[in-house]
Amino acid sequence: MAKQTFTTGQVLTAAQMTSLQQTAMCGGAASAKTASYTLVAADAGGAISMNSATSTTITVNTALFAAGDTVFITNLGAGICTITAGTATVNSSASLALAQYESGFLDFTTTSAAIFVKGSGAAAASGGMTLISTTACTGTSVVLSSIPGTYTNLQVIIDNFAPSAAAKLEARYNGQGGTTHQSAYFSLGSTTFLNPTSKTSQARLTDANLRASNNETRLFMNIPYYSSTDNQKKLTQFQLAGQNTSNQDTQSMGYIMYQQNNTAITQLEFFWDTGTTFASGTAYLWGIK
Amino acid sequence: MSRPTIRIHNVTTNEVFDREMDDAEFEAYQDRQKQYLMEQAETKAKASAKADLLKKLGITAEEAVLLLS
Repeated sequence: MAKQTFTTGQVLTAAQMTSLQQTAMCGGAASAKTASYTLVAADAGGAISMNSATSTTITVNTALFAAGDTVFITNLGAGICTITAGTATVNSSASLALAQYESGFLDFTTTSAAIFVKGSGAAAASGGMTLISTTACTGTSVVLSSIPGTYTNLQVIIDNFAPSAAAKLEARYNGQGGTTHQSAYFSLGSTTFLNPTSKTSQARLTDANLRASNNETRLFMNIPYYSSTDNQKKLTQFQLAGQNTSNQDTQSMGYIMYQQNNTAITQLEFFWDTGTTFASGTAYLWGIK
Repeated sequence: MSRPTIRIHNVTTNEVFDREMDDAEFEAYQDRQKQYLMEQAETKAKASAKADLLKKLGITAEEAVLLLS
């Protein structure tokens, strides 16, 4: 039951008392949402459940809530639900992103500021895997920026992706040019290790031109200790499978060595060697504790 | 003339922006284009040299593979 304003002499019904009891016991019916939502004053003391297959936001604005108000939020859908500061301030010691079946509550400290307290299920000490983001690939370049350094390893899967015109996929970290990347890989049918983009501004991920507008392609990348700032190489292991311009299955596997030893990886960028655009694709970024 | 577009997904705030490349990004993009064109020219030159050599030897590419196997 959302927060009520009772008046002197008001008689509470049994239904109201039951609902109040449920709320007091952290239960009660949630207000179901299926798309991004902006909180309203009537949500104070209530619960919101988001259920969407794609990413959504819950926006928090100022002058709607009083100090001490709370709003409980649960994400039931596969799409990440992110608590977003609109005109209000939202602080949290954890991520503001709720993966599927994660939950937390907003605790308002003033009318314009809240603390988001995330459920412990979101922060597994080890072994936990969290979908950080889902990105539809479009344009000439796709950048995943501001990657939080709170995980141990990163995993990237780009699914059903293709160039608008035949091309080779390339990647770059932290937007850095110069001699910062070294890649080596071998492709199916090749007996020779290929190293065509050694120590350049980007790393190449396949030797074959991938067929335009073909949706059979998948890339898998693992980046261990990506946020470390010690003097160790940043290594990425990758595998790519798709179709070449002759409609033949092709695959490559190899590694990327990011040569900025003492720099955490906070940004990943993907683009095509010819400068063409993405015709399709979805990039999933996972954090592994 | 418009520049190529870039999609930036801030994965912390979950905000997605589509915009044209800025000056630095466009410069990097042009450098990559130059690199691509150089690679294409090298590949073409190698293929041409290979064809010239096969012609000089009077054998086909398949026969050359057979010789080297």
